[in-house]
Amino acid sequence: MNHSETMSGPLDGVRVIDLTSRLGAYTGRLLSDLGAEVIRVEPPGGVPERSHAPLTEDGLSFSFAFTEAGKQSLVADSTDTSNAVQLEHLLSTAQMLLTSEGPALLRARDMSPEDVTNRHPGLVHVSISPFGLTGPYADRPASDLTLLAAGGLLGLAGDPDREPLRAWGNQTSVIAGVHAATAALIALLSLESTGRGQVVDLSVQEAVAHSLENAAQYLDLEGVVRHRVGAGPAEAGTGLFKCADGWVYLVGGLGGRPLAWESIIEWLTDQGIEEARTLDADKWQERTWRRSREGSTAFRRIFEKFAVTRTKQELYESGQGRGISVAPVATPEDLINDPQLVARDFFRTIDVGGNKLGFPGSPYRFANAYVGPRSGPPSLGSTSAAKLSTPAGPGYERTPA
Amino acid sequence: MSNDFPLEGIRVADFTWVGAGPFLTKPLADHGADVIKIESTTRTDPIRSMAPFRDGEAGVNRSGYFANRNSSKRSICLDLKHADGNRLALELIAKCDVVANNYTPGTMERLGLGYDTVSKLRPDIIYLDMPMQGNSGPHRDYRGYGLTIAAAGGLFGLSGYPDRLPVGTGTNYPDHVPNPLHGAIAVLAALRNRRRTGRGEHIELAQLESTVNAIGPALLAASAGQQTERAANDDPVAAPHGVYRCAGEDKWCAIAVFTDEQWTSLASALGAPQRASQPDLASAEGRRNARRELDVLINSATCAWDAEVLAATLTKRGVPASAVLDADALLNRDPQLRARNHWIRLDHPVMGPSIYDGIPYRLSRTPGRLRGPAPLLGADTRDVCLDLLGMDPETFDSLHQQGVVG
Repeated sequence: MNHSETMSGPLDGVRVIDLTSRLGAYTGRLLSDLGAEVIRVEPPGGVPERSHAPLTEDGLSFSFAFTEAGKQSLVADSTDTSNAVQLEHLLSTAQMLLTSEGPALLRARDMSPEDVTNRHPGLVHVSISPFGLTGPYADRPASDLTLLAAGGLLGLAGDPDREPLRAWGNQTSVIAGVHAATAALIALLSLESTGRGQVVDLSVQEAVAHSLENAAQYLDLEGVVRHRVGAGPAEAGTGLFKCADGWVYLVGGLGGRPLAWESIIEWLTDQGIEEARTLDADKWQERTWRRSREGSTAFRRIFEKFAVTRTKQELYESGQGRGISVAPVATPEDLINDPQLVARDFFRTIDVGGNKLGFPGSPYRFANAYVGPRSGPPSLGSTSAAKLSTPAGPGYERTPA
Repeated sequence: MSNDFPLEGIRVADFTWVGAGPFLTKPLADHGADVIKIESTTRTDPIRSMAPFRDGEAGVNRSGYFANRNSSKRSICLDLKHADGNRLALELIAKCDVVANNYTPGTMERLGLGYDTVSKLRPDIIYLDMPMQGNSGPHRDYRGYGLTIAAAGGLFGLSGYPDRLPVGTGTNYPDHVPNPLHGAIAVLAALRNRRRTGRGEHIELAQLESTVNAIGPALLAASAGQQTERAANDDPVAAPHGVYRCAGEDKWCAIAVFTDEQWTSLASALGAPQRASQPDLASAEGRRNARRELDVLINSATCAWDAEVLAATLTKRGVPASAVLDADALLNRDPQLRARNHWIRLDHPVMGPSIYDGIPYRLSRTPGRLRGPAPLLGADTRDVCLDLLGMDPETFDSLHQQGVVG
């Protein structure tokens, strides 16, 4: 199954105009990986995200490189009326428009979704915005951190004695991106069967609130409000354990019940940890003991005696070999060398301004089509209005609305 | 507005279970696909046994964790290891457009339901495998859960206070965000491609590969030889940037300052306008260098504020801010979620009226809808066997007695 970047993808013939900021940028990346032609529109000088730290030695943002891979760049000066006319024409050749601002800012750019889809009835306007297009907060300024707070995920993360904690990176861009791309494709299926576009109104606050595991249901069904509990559930055998070069995450129990307990005892005794035999006692089968601080501490003392003498990778391979759920707390460096990812040829080397960077491959593999990053991020103005004057295609004829 | 659903006419044989898989098929079901969830009476979806339960009482039809992920679906029980049960599964698949599973590699093949078998029956099938590590490679048989995938995938280790152990997101994040929704995207793209070309697709979503995309920029940095470290609530661009203590028990407000104007507004709102004109704080770089000191100053001011009043005051002045909301605030008080009718209450036959997460997006012309509460275990076995597979009632009753269907 060797597919190349030049093969057509499942979204072949779909043109997407991308006017998003960081909040919406992953959406277009996902569509580009699937073969859509994604055109990032930038002001003269480029979008500010190009220079958001951290940067390559040449001063290009890693997050920009990641979210813009495979897209093209078109420079359009929003204050120039001829550019505005060109953009309007471009929209008439596209199937989708992506934006990620609230309603007032969209109005100011003459990009109100309702107006845009009135002007272009065959266009899907995917409007990703912090709080959605309606409601009292629709125009509140927001950022990754404040949206994690407003959607409830921030409050579930962190140690109880410290401030709630942000997930690394711009996870709202991932959360918004995966939901927006799902919605965009549902709307595309409708467009291609009816010829009619529509507005997709995605609220990032709601997308975050859709990621709370069971917190809403805990309150509704059992009257319990979940709060942050540090690294995870407090149960003997489960959680983070120190090893020679970092930590591993072990799941030796779930919901108060032991998991692969015999295998864990055997693993430890085989390494000469005699005390592991005490884990055979009946109390280790009991939920109350397993969830007690004493139980957790006793297990930790025994397990770490062994673990600190081994690396993450050693514990991962030897534990998994015995059917025990254990995983390394991987760093990015660990991942680019991960034996599984390397054996599966997951990373793609892509030239970014003369530097070879290892891009993670697509989240999924298709047996019959190429999906994944096709090229690095575009240089500023990699395409022009003249080159884009014809509709995308082939393979799709728009039915008049 | 019309009531047609874009995925009407698409049928899904849904072998997914636990966390990630069911959130993949849910958006399909909520937008019109007929998603038939296949379990067995002896091997039910483990998440049916996970809290929370209605009134705290466990039962296969009482879990809110299960219910929330399975709206709009049907449920049937088949004994896939019995020859007749297996034949029925194949008959069902022959009438489906999509097959999805998140079993360990080789399980569907051992059941005689692998891609090679199924594609002979339905050459245009869209078939999704969702193994943890992939169907190949030295770690293909490794096992894990949402938390171990987050650890192995890198997000866990990067999320935390620099002076403490990593803490992650406090949830099984890969099961709720990247893995199910990347899967839904793949299936929808394949459906679109099939419509144009007539060709089906075999999709392999390795949960590890999907999850590492959530930290994509850190992997690019690593490949360029740059390290990424845990940074708590610091941001590489904005400063001050953090979660600040407010009045009351465990109340907090998240504040992010990206521009000089936002800095001026924050300083004046917190009653320290002289800080705004301090030259060493006039630039983003200066504020980043002074961020620890600024955090102390901001905390000393915010601790007198009500978090929601502070967020309203700051956002009115153009500063991104939000109170840190818990489930009670989200469900019962947040005016924005209320105005958008985010939470959905569905009347479940056993659980009664219960809260489901709303769809976080609205399609203006073809909106999706939670078309029904989660199905009771095996609620639709009879209908599917009789109406879809054309079985006669006597045969059904006999198979039912033998435990082949349930």
